[in-house]
Amino acid sequence: MAGLVTAGAYTLASLGQNAVIPSRILPFLGLMLLLLVSAHVAVRWLASGADSTLLPVAALLNGLGYVMIARLSERLAGLQTTWTFIGIAVFIAVLVFVERINDLSRYTWHFFAAGAGLLLLPLIPGLGFSSGGARIWVNIGPINFQPGEFAKLALALFFAGYLAERGRLISTSTRRLGPFTIPESRDLLPLVAAWGFSVVIMVGQKDLGSSLLFFTLFVVMVWVATEKTSYLVIGLGLFVVACVVAYNLFDHVQTRVAVWLDPWSRYDGKGYQIAQAMFALGNGGVTGTGLGRGLPQRIPEAKNDFIFAAIGEEMGLLGATIVLLSFMVIIGAGLRIALRTQRPFEKLLATGLTTIIGVQAFIIIGGVIRVVPLTGITLPFVSYGGSSLVANYALLALLIRLSDVSARRLGEVPDTPMLSERWAARRARKRTDDVTTEVSDL
Amino acid sequence: MNQRIRRLALALLVLYAVLFVQLNFIQVGRKASLDADVRNTRQTVRDFDEPRGPILTADGVVIAESRRTQPGSTYSWQRVYPEGELFAHLTGYFTLAYGATQVERVMNDVLSGNTAEQQLSGVWSVFDTDDNSGSVTLTLDANVQQAAKDALGEREGSVVVLDVQTGAVKAMWSWPSFDPNVIADHDSAEAGVWLQFLDLLPSKPLLANAYQERYMPGSTFKVITTAAALEAGVVSLDTVFAEESQYLPPQTDDPIENYNGRSCGGDLTEVFRRSCNTPFARLSIDLGPSNMVEAATRFGIGEDVPFDLPSPAASAFGDVDYFVDNLPLLAIGGFGQGNTQMVPLHMAAIAAAIANRGTMMTPFAIDLTRDHDGKVLDRTEPTMWRQVMSPGVASTMVDLMKVVASSGTASCCLKLADGVVAAAKTGTAQLNGPGEPERSHAWMIGFAPADTPRYAFAVVLKGTNAEISAGTGGTLAGPVASKVMNAALRDR
Repeated sequence: MAGLVTAGAYTLASLGQNAVIPSRILPFLGLMLLLLVSAHVAVRWLASGADSTLLPVAALLNGLGYVMIARLSERLAGLQTTWTFIGIAVFIAVLVFVERINDLSRYTWHFFAAGAGLLLLPLIPGLGFSSGGARIWVNIGPINFQPGEFAKLALALFFAGYLAERGRLISTSTRRLGPFTIPESRDLLPLVAAWGFSVVIMVGQKDLGSSLLFFTLFVVMVWVATEKTSYLVIGLGLFVVACVVAYNLFDHVQTRVAVWLDPWSRYDGKGYQIAQAMFALGNGGVTGTGLGRGLPQRIPEAKNDFIFAAIGEEMGLLGATIVLLSFMVIIGAGLRIALRTQRPFEKLLATGLTTIIGVQAFIIIGGVIRVVPLTGITLPFVSYGGSSLVANYALLALLIRLSDVSARRLGEVPDTPMLSERWAARRARKRTDDVTTEVSDL
Repeated sequence: MNQRIRRLALALLVLYAVLFVQLNFIQVGRKASLDADVRNTRQTVRDFDEPRGPILTADGVVIAESRRTQPGSTYSWQRVYPEGELFAHLTGYFTLAYGATQVERVMNDVLSGNTAEQQLSGVWSVFDTDDNSGSVTLTLDANVQQAAKDALGEREGSVVVLDVQTGAVKAMWSWPSFDPNVIADHDSAEAGVWLQFLDLLPSKPLLANAYQERYMPGSTFKVITTAAALEAGVVSLDTVFAEESQYLPPQTDDPIENYNGRSCGGDLTEVFRRSCNTPFARLSIDLGPSNMVEAATRFGIGEDVPFDLPSPAASAFGDVDYFVDNLPLLAIGGFGQGNTQMVPLHMAAIAAAIANRGTMMTPFAIDLTRDHDGKVLDRTEPTMWRQVMSPGVASTMVDLMKVVASSGTASCCLKLADGVVAAAKTGTAQLNGPGEPERSHAWMIGFAPADTPRYAFAVVLKGTNAEISAGTGGTLAGPVASKVMNAALRDR
């Protein structure tokens, strides 16, 4: 694992050197490496049984994105270093505080409340505000953040807890209707509620990407939990209905679809961004223009939603493929964690968290390269942005903890006491010692 | 659940496979058509952002070069013109949004390293450096150019200095000029506003007036009329013109007057020295339309001045049919009024031709080009433009012009350092009709040293206010010519 981190670091450093990037960036780069190494040390110490590919791959994505951001804007690179610092701090904090992952299943409804609250936060007048057409931002004092990024974590935890408890129940109480087994209407309620949530987000916040992500997350988790294909079919049906209605009701949805189908005739308007991304990717070719030699700054939001196009331009098909493969490795590792563990809650949580990363990356990459209509959402670990980076590092910590827990349970690593257990034991020992001392004094 | 999770894995795998296929389709399959899209300026911009060689004066002053920009800028190179407006009409500007002009345009391939020769030598030095940009050295001398600028000051006009034997431009300055740095700035929106503003100014600062504009030549044109008449044998040094204040040409009742209505006459040297009008009006009529037009054509009037920078103007005189019906205009055309229009560079070339035994050399400003290693790629060989008069007539003209400089209309104001003897002719073209505001073109052309000529000059000041129009060509253009020629002759 250390070797992999080093390899990632080396890639990062060499990429940094090849680029026409000023020397001032080197301290930032050094700081980034230090942060990633400390995250690695934290994993070794706090979760020694964890999957050894997750962190290095995430670090590679973070590093690739960072190099690209540094190349686009020195100022943002500095900020991204700060966000990485906070992200890694949160990552370590999650590893420290979440020791027995099953404990989290006790707080199912708390997570629901947190998730729903966070999702609806931007809709509160005076608190939420729009940027780039989507009302997904919240401003509290000096801090701006996107609560949606954290809501997806909370909701994944809620779904996992809820479905682990009720999933079996839901799947057994069914009626037959023709060839399909239809769930009781009572059990359909959560699905409908989730669908309602997605609609609220889509209509209220104009955030198609997040809406799609939440809905996919829910349907996938219900399907995995209940093992009923009918949920998948119903989910798909609801999705289609929502799509048709949204398409007919909202101009911006129609525009997105039209631009997806033909950005060229709308080059001077809404199609410009996609067209520029196409030019960028085409110009990059197989090997890319080389870092600092392309013109990714011509793509609006190149640092953010369109960072994949920027990577494809300057690092070519090779660089873009590395990004795709990295996400596939994360998906593979995440679902392997889900397969290995025996407990439903952990299985569902690992599935949910992996789905979030995998589907989110697909939605935005697919949007950039015109596989699906573009829906603005960040590319996990790669895009510039504090909320996204911090939330994804927290997500990664949970996956790593899940992996570690099942490794301990399977006896692959000795189930050494956790930090808090050691701390409690030490305090208990000390108290006993004190008592012994008193006794001996007598 | 495990089975579903495996299916989920498979589904995600398929989705990512689709992404990979589409990525290949865009980055490999459609690369050519995307790169060829006219709206895709990425390649153009990259070509624009390549290293580009400098433009230098003959004495080694850098007048255009590319400098590295601050890290993080949109472009890696910024074209800089260290001398500002001084050489703007020579270098032109090099921009992405508004193209390139002047040397930047005509020598683009050399400067960017794209000539076949540079590409070929670049193949061998592939491992050394990928910068094979070349440099361009002009014939101009920065000191003389600066002297021209200082001497002219903020008065509209042009100064040209030529090497009489080669036609190489030593100085070519017009005021107003412009700062090409403003146009080459990467903020193309602001540059565009500047460009539009400069373009709208009536004084046309964007134009190199010294060779892209023409002015009524006034009495300097008598050089051509006299040479033509001498060549045709219509006049000789012994010819004596009667003292008269007026001459009535055919086809009109409106007589031609001398300057200020004075009485004027004498032999050819005398009327040339005093710049009388009536004798040259008579000479034009004596020569007749076809001879005069033929002479003008021989001097290159009517054709674009052959020059190695873009869009040179052509001097104008008129055609035979027109003059046959308008003999009074032929008469006043003989002393540079009417429809006669001369390009300053052309006038300098005519002065140089007289100094060069009647051979008018093709003027040029680009001396040589070098590749990145300093090896000379191409050097301009001086060529003859036209043989405008016989050596004998040229010798007579030198004598006539020497008298103008020593005791004639130029004597007041053309004073060269170290007692160098000059030859010159002045001119003042009246542009305004009776009762209109004063407008005139004040000229002086000539060369020095008179007996072993090295440099020829043409100075023209555009009189748009009373200050200029109150003077004559001699008093206004003379001091300018003196300063510039002193700088040119001091050199080397």
